[in-house]
Amino acid sequence: MSNFFKLVYNEQVKLYARKSTWIMFGILAAIILGVAILGKTVGNVDEAQYGDDWRQQLEQENAEIAEGSSEEEVANHWGIQENNYYLDNDIKPLEYDAWQFVVENVMLSALLSLFTIIVAAGIIAHEFRWGTVKLLLIRPVARTKILFAKYASVLLFAFTSLVFLLVFSWITGAIFFGVNGANPLLVIQNQNEYTQIAAWAEMGRSYGLQLINLVMMATFAFMISSIFRNSGLAIGFAIFLMMAGNSIIGFFMQYDWAKYILFANTNLEQYFRGTPLIEGMTLSFSIGVLIVYYVIFMVLSWLFFTKRDVAGH
Amino acid sequence: MAAEPAMKLIDLKKDIGKKQIIKGLTFDINPGEVFGFLGPNGAGKTTTIRMMVGLMKISEGDVVIKGSSIKSNYKDAIRHVGAIVENPEMYPFMSGWKNLLHYARMMSGITEERIKEVVSLVGLEKAIHEKAGRYSLGMRQRLGIAQALLHRPSVLILDEPTNGLDPHGIREIRQYIRSLAEKENVAVIVSSHLLSEIEMMCDRIGIIKNGELVAIETVKGLTKTDEDLIHIEAVPLDRANELLRQTLQLEPTVEEENIKLTVKREEIPSIVKCLVEGQVDVFGVQVQRSTLEDKFLDVIGENAIE
Ligand SMILES: Nc1ncnc2c1ncn2[C@@H]1O[C@H](COP(=O)(O)OP(=O)(O)O)[C@@H](O)[C@H]1O
Ligand SMILES: [Mg+2]
Repeated sequence: MSNFFKLVYNEQVKLYARKSTWIMFGILAAIILGVAILGKTVGNVDEAQYGDDWRQQLEQENAEIAEGSSEEEVANHWGIQENNYYLDNDIKPLEYDAWQFVVENVMLSALLSLFTIIVAAGIIAHEFRWGTVKLLLIRPVARTKILFAKYASVLLFAFTSLVFLLVFSWITGAIFFGVNGANPLLVIQNQNEYTQIAAWAEMGRSYGLQLINLVMMATFAFMISSIFRNSGLAIGFAIFLMMAGNSIIGFFMQYDWAKYILFANTNLEQYFRGTPLIEGMTLSFSIGVLIVYYVIFMVLSWLFFTKRDVAGH
Repeated sequence: MAAEPAMKLIDLKKDIGKKQIIKGLTFDINPGEVFGFLGPNGAGKTTTIRMMVGLMKISEGDVVIKGSSIKSNYKDAIRHVGAIVENPEMYPFMSGWKNLLHYARMMSGITEERIKEVVSLVGLEKAIHEKAGRYSLGMRQRLGIAQALLHRPSVLILDEPTNGLDPHGIREIRQYIRSLAEKENVAVIVSSHLLSEIEMMCDRIGIIKNGELVAIETVKGLTKTDEDLIHIEAVPLDRANELLRQTLQLEPTVEEENIKLTVKREEIPSIVKCLVEGQVDVFGVQVQRSTLEDKFLDVIGENAIE
């Protein structure tokens, strides 16, 4: 093992030696199971079984919805629109299955952000709190290398938990709802229109975009942890900003510079589904802004970790 | 000693804010020597040690370890050092063994055999697979020493290793430290605020007060030959003085109602005998503290917290 990988390995050992890390995975698993059980028992996921006469079934559904509604309501009803998409394109609706369950569970990545923030916030600050930093930093290893090993360990955790979310969701979905083939075409809503997309492509896109958000929040918490050497502060700060992000943007929306706020740019989904938050923003603009923030976070983390004294309290 | 010093401190200074905490320390520590770094709380021992191991930046001066400057050649310098700085803090949620593995992975060439060797050296075999969080302070000190020894350092720095230990634990630590210095030629720096706890393990003691070195003493003369200052209360005083000068060739001084002189402990009975046989009435003989302890207590008394 090379030197750097040994350092990352050390960080992973310390991370998984603690119960709290396993509790995070436990919570995630429990929530996935809970969502599946709810969906199966009281949810609307399994409402219809479509047979060979699926066209008639859809027509009938539309008629039922239309009954007693005004013409305008009918035109805007999402159920009718969706059914019409199937009819117009001659696609037989698929039953709800593991793939759709996985795609829907991308919303749980908010929870992953939370867990990754907790891990990132602690990975430097805890060494200071425990006092172990003094033994960690008196080895023939540059502080920069130790810092990047810690950062890599945070990213590895984020990635591991994302894979866990995907795989555990798929398995749970498969058990509860079954599987429609290896890579079925899913019908999804995109800017008030319906389109068809392969399950793998949709998963890759939505989870990939979440990963960007995850990395930004983790890097932010990591920086706070490095600057203040206090995990509570880093967790509090990062979670507050994560939660308040949208309100912050809303508050400053009228100003021209609002588009430079980090949170206006973390949700890249806005360029794929829906409309950009602020007029004039583009995907490449947001990527540029994110890169600038990222570099600032990393440079500050590095400066504070490598240049500052490890003094007593 | 002719050998190159294992560690050299060269006019080492540390400023924190506007205050100078360390005010220019210069001394060498030689291979095979146990150097006691003695000073009251707040004197600057830990701050000095933090600079020696690169945890704190040096404001002025330098620390040179086996020829490499900790400032300009950190990795080559620190390679030779094992240390505990302040309390021996370990990852409480991992076993002692896993704690050692963790540090072993940060250095090259440490085999599992070597880890077992240091574990048995500090006598932790029984508890090594228990979580470090359940260790007593004494056990943590031992684990701390074990991690410091993994890579066979040439310089071992132990900050207050006797803190929280009972006399038995202190005796044990003294034994490993002496044997490391004598058998493996390690230069050991042991800090303490209590002379009595380190006096018997050190070859030399440097006393630090308010960030300045106020004395460096070789301990050998003190513990082996033990010259003590004694006060003798005797009548008549001038006759006693004369007897000691003429019969025993000593050089006492007379002060108020007492005779003061510095002698080895084993000479005291013959002095008393000489006086009694010479018709002098001896009312009392008082042995004073050794000179190092004297100096140290003076220092402690004056170590004002600024
Ligand atoms: N981070 C710091 N900021 C300001 N002063 C400090 C800091 N660390 C130590 N000091 C001061 O430096 C002096 C020496 O402290 P220290 O080296 O811990 O002493 P010792 O280890 O000899 O007890 C003390 O007066 C202490 O208050
Ligand atoms: Mg101290």
